[in-house]
Amino acid sequence: MSTPTRQRVLQHLDHVGLLQPAIHKETHAPSPDEITNDQYRAYTRTVHDVGGERDVPITWEEKEEEIWEHNTFVTCEVLAWRGVWNAEERRRRQNVDVGQTVYLGLPYYGRWLLTAALILVDKQYVTLSELHEKIDEVRKRYE
Amino acid sequence: MADKHKPAPMVDEVSEFEILELAVRELAIEKGLFTAEDHQAWTEYMHTLGPLPAARLVAKAWLDPEYKKLCIEDGVKASLEVGIDWINQMPTKFGTPSDYCNLRVMADTPKLKHVVVCTLCSCYPRPILGQSPEWYRTPNYRRRLVRWPRQVLTEFGLQIPEDVEVRVVDSNQKTRYIVMPERPEGTEGWTEDQLTEIVTRDCLIGVAVPKPGKTANDPRPVRKALKPYSH
Repeated sequence: MSTPTRQRVLQHLDHVGLLQPAIHKETHAPSPDEITNDQYRAYTRTVHDVGGERDVPITWEEKEEEIWEHNTFVTCEVLAWRGVWNAEERRRRQNVDVGQTVYLGLPYYGRWLLTAALILVDKQYVTLSELHEKIDEVRKRYE
Repeated sequence: MADKHKPAPMVDEVSEFEILELAVRELAIEKGLFTAEDHQAWTEYMHTLGPLPAARLVAKAWLDPEYKKLCIEDGVKASLEVGIDWINQMPTKFGTPSDYCNLRVMADTPKLKHVVVCTLCSCYPRPILGQSPEWYRTPNYRRRLVRWPRQVLTEFGLQIPEDVEVRVVDSNQKTRYIVMPERPEGTEGWTEDQLTEIVTRDCLIGVAVPKPGKTANDPRPVRKALKPYSH
């Protein structure tokens, strides 16, 4: 990477690093004069493109898998096996369309699960009402 | 009182994720998008996966220079010799539905150490290595490894000398990687089975190197699941 390119990339990553606290600022939807081109580029990047962003060391853990996490993985794979979605749309939905808050805020498979629910509605395999009714019905089983 | 025999209310015992997972799966089956048998078949397929085939591939390559050449040239073909067929083995019979069928085996040398990441998501060669560990999927690992690889490797207990190049390979939708580490000293005359035992999952990702007598990943804190799935 040439030096100016590298500098531009590092500068971009610095801006990206500022987005998270910005989400909690009181000011929302600022007027155009409050947004620089650098900020615009940081906001409009795809949120999964995290390589090179700053972060602090963490404890590396091995995590046990929840039953619902395993089932979610399998459901997503089987939906693809049976042609409901392909790899490209899965990726765009799970990694990009969810937005930064959900991307960083939900568990890994939580994001997958949300996307699997949305694909059924978006492709009109179920209506939003059917989805809500099913969720209510499942919830009642546990009451 | 009859009520005494009712189970206690399960406050907070069922998560929204569990409810939604069941709802989505049941709706998909009711609408005929897939069958319960499909779901079961994929679960059973997942049970067959793990890092052992990849470990055996490395051990075989240490013992057979011709096979090592094949591994580097065509990882998918080399996988056949350790019992992994990237196309026909999975229930689809057309490969992974995540649409990848290209394995590259990155051979370390005394002056070059490879380590694998997926900065964009968590791409991982599941057919030959099983499910990825949670730390591999964290934004933290994906953010930092490409920029500060030596520091991150140190956190995994692996110090790479300054005169050894560290090369980070970034997985993507179509191509997955495993690392073929250097065969360690002290393993002269070992059999393929013996060598396979020391090639741990972490060695294959590149955050560890094999050592005689070390047959498991470094111990790390375990985050317990509320309702664990047993593989």
